[in-house]
Amino acid sequence: MQIPALQTRRQFFSRSAVGIGTAAYASLLNRDATATPANQNELPLGGLPHLPHYAAKAKRVIYMFMNGAPTHTDLFDYNPLQQKMHGEPIPESYFRGKRFSTMTGNPAGKKVLAPVEPFRQYGESGAWVSDFMKHTGKVADDVCFIKSMHTEQVNHAPAVTFFLSGSEMAGRPTLGAWLSYGLGNDTDNLPSFTVMTSVSKGTTCGQIFYDYYWGSGFLPSRFQGVKFRAGGDPVLYLSSPAGVTRQVRRGILDDLAQLNELQYKEFGDPEIQTRIAQYEMAYKMQASVPELTDISDEPQHVLDMYGADVKERGTFAHHCLMARRLAERGVRFIQLMHAGWDQHGSLTTELYNQTRDTDQPSAGLLRDLKQRGMLEDTLLVWGGEFGRTPFLQGDINNRPKWGRDHHPYAFTIWMAGGGIKPGMTYGASDDLGMNAVKDRVHVHDFQATILHLLGIDHEQLTFKHQGRRHRLTDVHGNVVRGILA
Amino acid sequence: MLECTYYQHTSHASLTINMPRFSPFLSTCFLFATAAMASAEEIDFARDIRQILSDNCYHCHGPDEGAREAELRLDTKEGLFRNLDGTTVVAPGNVDASELIRRVVSNDSDERMPPADSNRSLTPKQIGLLTRWVENGAVWKGHWSFQPPVQPKVPKGKNAIDYFVGRRLEQAGLEPSAEASKERLLRRVTFDLTGLPPTIEELDAFLSDDSQEAFEKVVDRLLKSHHYGERMAWDWLDAARYADTNGFQGDRERTMWPWRDWVVAAFNNNMPFDQFTVWQLAGDLLPEATVEQRLATGFNRNHMINGEGGRIAEENRIEYVFDQMETMGTVWMGLTFQCSRCHDHKFDPLTRREYYQLFAFFNQTPVTGSGGDPQTAPNLAFGSPQQEAERDRLQRETDDARMLVEQTEKALLNDVNHNQPSDKEVKQIRDILANPLLKRNNEQFATLEKFGDKYAAEYAKQVRAFRAKRKQRDDQYRSLPRVMVMEDMAKPRKTFMLTKGAYNQPTQEVTSDTPAIFRPLPTDAPKNRLALARWLVDPAHPLAARVTVNRHWQMFFGTGLVKTTEDFGSQGERPSHPHLLDWLASKFVQSGWDVKLLHKMIVMTATYRQTAKASPASIAADAENRLLSRGSRFRLSSWMIRDHALSTSGLLVGTLGGPPVNPYQPPDVWSEATFGKKKYTQGKGEDLYRRSLYSFWRRIVGPTMFFDEAKRQTCSVRPGRTNTPLHALTTMNDITYVEAARALAQRVIMSFEEDTKRLETAFRLATSRKPSGVETRILLTRLKQLRSQYDSDPGEARQLLSVGDSPRDENIDAIEHAAYTGICSLLLNLDEALTR
Repeated sequence: MQIPALQTRRQFFSRSAVGIGTAAYASLLNRDATATPANQNELPLGGLPHLPHYAAKAKRVIYMFMNGAPTHTDLFDYNPLQQKMHGEPIPESYFRGKRFSTMTGNPAGKKVLAPVEPFRQYGESGAWVSDFMKHTGKVADDVCFIKSMHTEQVNHAPAVTFFLSGSEMAGRPTLGAWLSYGLGNDTDNLPSFTVMTSVSKGTTCGQIFYDYYWGSGFLPSRFQGVKFRAGGDPVLYLSSPAGVTRQVRRGILDDLAQLNELQYKEFGDPEIQTRIAQYEMAYKMQASVPELTDISDEPQHVLDMYGADVKERGTFAHHCLMARRLAERGVRFIQLMHAGWDQHGSLTTELYNQTRDTDQPSAGLLRDLKQRGMLEDTLLVWGGEFGRTPFLQGDINNRPKWGRDHHPYAFTIWMAGGGIKPGMTYGASDDLGMNAVKDRVHVHDFQATILHLLGIDHEQLTFKHQGRRHRLTDVHGNVVRGILA
Repeated sequence: MLECTYYQHTSHASLTINMPRFSPFLSTCFLFATAAMASAEEIDFARDIRQILSDNCYHCHGPDEGAREAELRLDTKEGLFRNLDGTTVVAPGNVDASELIRRVVSNDSDERMPPADSNRSLTPKQIGLLTRWVENGAVWKGHWSFQPPVQPKVPKGKNAIDYFVGRRLEQAGLEPSAEASKERLLRRVTFDLTGLPPTIEELDAFLSDDSQEAFEKVVDRLLKSHHYGERMAWDWLDAARYADTNGFQGDRERTMWPWRDWVVAAFNNNMPFDQFTVWQLAGDLLPEATVEQRLATGFNRNHMINGEGGRIAEENRIEYVFDQMETMGTVWMGLTFQCSRCHDHKFDPLTRREYYQLFAFFNQTPVTGSGGDPQTAPNLAFGSPQQEAERDRLQRETDDARMLVEQTEKALLNDVNHNQPSDKEVKQIRDILANPLLKRNNEQFATLEKFGDKYAAEYAKQVRAFRAKRKQRDDQYRSLPRVMVMEDMAKPRKTFMLTKGAYNQPTQEVTSDTPAIFRPLPTDAPKNRLALARWLVDPAHPLAARVTVNRHWQMFFGTGLVKTTEDFGSQGERPSHPHLLDWLASKFVQSGWDVKLLHKMIVMTATYRQTAKASPASIAADAENRLLSRGSRFRLSSWMIRDHALSTSGLLVGTLGGPPVNPYQPPDVWSEATFGKKKYTQGKGEDLYRRSLYSFWRRIVGPTMFFDEAKRQTCSVRPGRTNTPLHALTTMNDITYVEAARALAQRVIMSFEEDTKRLETAFRLATSRKPSGVETRILLTRLKQLRSQYDSDPGEARQLLSVGDSPRDENIDAIEHAAYTGICSLLLNLDEALTR
């Protein structure tokens, strides 16, 4: 990682014309590194030398995380029996020996609740999709629905943490951090793992976004997700202060690099070279991020795909468009988190806002990627941390307050794009949507599958911490072969 | 105790010196023999073999009984040398008869160990080591950190630290480096001991002091500074997962800061570390515990609290106790206990039962786990001196008012007799008066007042006055900050082992005790937290002193002698300098756990004082500088970078202690994370310039201006140190740094007329040294450039100068001030300014 000492000031400036420290910078990215680093904390930004383990089907991931747990039996998991048994007590055989949240307690006597909106079939695949999700229905032939998801957690924060980091306890590296660590960065002026968070307008059930949802855990902190913000600077401290123009900044940075080079000559500490390169990347980000977030070049017909809110910062629609722009620029892992799916008593009210704010943007993102030929190597994921009870929470006679409680035993997510078989449904729950019964997919299986699609054997991507080799999937997980294209 | 390969090495050296007495032929033979012996003895079980077994075999053949395959364990002496049905695992001296060797070299994939699907494999070098170890007699030793340290001998007149470091260097064929320049040394030691840079006056004083004791005088001065305690407290707060909120949904504000101030004071008063330990883990259980001793136990209550609706209280409570116990394990024992929640430890001799026996010590508080009260009892009201005086006064006045009422009551019914209350009334009042005053309820007081209004006006007045005063006292008491502290219930809570750590899956009952691998607790005292705390700091305990001196070493060298500060178990790294670690640990205990003395011993050494200059050869030989052939050089913690900027600019407000403050932070960071439920109210005036230690720490979204800092969610004892563009953006653009650059510019403009002098002073404040000619020329050229840039657009200059709340001296020409602000921002971002 050393660069030859500079001989003359002129030589120095000849480099600065294209940005100071270009050589150090290139070596920092180190895409072609072949050596195994002696110290795991000093890994190249280019990822691990032996990765990918095999040819990747997807180069990047856009994960639309539906925080709060979408109600699977109202959106995708169609069960005519639920309609038929509406208002009847849920038979004990469906819940015997299972633990529910304290709000549900014992489900005995709880009443089956029919889906709020009707379902219909879409496309050649004939997928059943609720009227809540008409836009998603229209792209069903590009999507693979997994209806046999199940998890171990019944509270939001531990369940989200489990999905994203493989452990219900905060403090483990998340999926995006693992991928950045393993595969490195594909862009030299944006972070490889970015996060955006939103919540539906007027919701009363938003869940907090903890920063450990995109944390790097025990991996070096440069692998943690960078949150793009809805207000102010998209990235914290991105803008130069008032009164510091780009020209002034450039001049200061040129001299900063030059003085740091002198320091490097004296001390020989390679960290100094890295610092020079990082200041240069900061400068690049100051240009690349505003360029990224400036959507004035998007034609109207593209904006229309994402829905009415697309121009409004902080909305899910805006974030979906941003995700496509990030994907185009080589960002590895884009995590869009949208809260407000926690319909304990708002199935007939806020669920409409929730789906209005997310259905069209997520389908629009899929269509936009597809029309650009990017869906082939972009993995798109939509899903929450668990499902919701097929039975009612609340009073059957008080329709405006109908709700469903947390439900870990069956729920639906969908995946599309890079390496996923389109137009299919995988796995199934029972006839009331209570329990995943066919081709069950555990959270760790889902994680193993994502890594697989990116060319990584989930059992081989490890990091030694506190004396143990840790994996995203702990000691579990099987790739779900049935959904691979 | 460890056998020391260095001693062996020395003895060989002495044999070789005797060599000339032999004939050439003999001496050649002898040399061969010595070489063979040397390579034979070079294999040390503790250093070379245990790690191979631990990494590759313990997972299935280790301490975890539940996961053990083929009833074979390789982590104990018995297991390794066992003979079962004619098969010997390891036959000392006989490779062919050793099943272990046969299996690791086997070509049969069904037999070969580790199995192919285990994701583990042995390198040829490792197989070679195992084979040679067996060949040479398979000498076995217990894990090093579980044997009590024995203080190694140091030749008379030698500095022990330098002696051990020097020997290691010699072994590696490396030379130590020369002493660092005085400026750089002063910068290093000032940051290490106070977290602040030296002032110009301190630099000048040190530079002009040619006496032998010059450096020692500096060290003594720094150890006396009250900033010393603030610097030392930071790392302790990381370990103690201190924060100003609960964490989780709701993230309610707590008031644990009096505990934080206690920590600062304890460091400043050089409280012996054994006492520091006992007070924090079990101060409440000391005989006639003082307020201060109880306050110290707040350490255990700094864990997160989950107030999320729908959570099961007992599940929360169990989580809190896990956290308390595991924090103790990391901080005092350097052991990672977490895996033993569910199963026997995979690598260390700690069983699940022993985990829950340690858990039982902490399982005795009255905390129920319900709700999210950030001042959950047991707690301690802890006011400022004024508040405490107020509280005393109100208590006195309440007592006086009560005594007045009681006095009147003695004759109350006699006095009112002639006013003719009915018999019924008299009986009712008599019944109430039969209760002691402090046991009466509000309804009874109301009856008394009504009675007084009718028949004894003065009495009614007295009762009302008492109740008003009491309410005033209680309201004042409720308004005081409250520190959650420890307290054991009179009736012990039963402790059960929990399947997979689940609160609702108890199995066998256990009682508090320490793990069997260590010396047992004394039998003449109750097995409570106090006994545990005393057991930890008993000089015979193999871990507490080693783990502690290692953490302190890490502060001064960036890396511990054991790099895995949090793990001294068999999966942790072995010490780079085992003798030095043991010497420091025993010396620390002998000195009465004197922390300041430990720090002084470390910084006075030649090892610490070396220059950080590294030749390419030195980097190639020891990239991470683990052998200490040069001085340590690493980036300052982000909190020190901020304190540095405040200090050099003259903005720093050095007030000690008190409630946390809210420095600059971009708007809406809190509200974005909490859907508007939490709003950040930026502080004003002095609050913006306090030391970083006092910045309000919201657990779910920590202060944004810090990077690479512990999350303060769970115990953290090893600092992260990365290098990313986001850090650069912070120190270039955060208001704190832009304002500091402006203030620093003003400081040098006001002090000097000439550019060279101004630049020199600003450079010195940022880096602690004077700039070279080349550096001055670069800065002068930039200054001219900036002047012309701002001259052509004075509006930009004024905008830059308006960043930050502190006023600027309007007498300074705006263009000149802006140009210098640019220079000072550059200086504060120099690698050298960010580094110590």
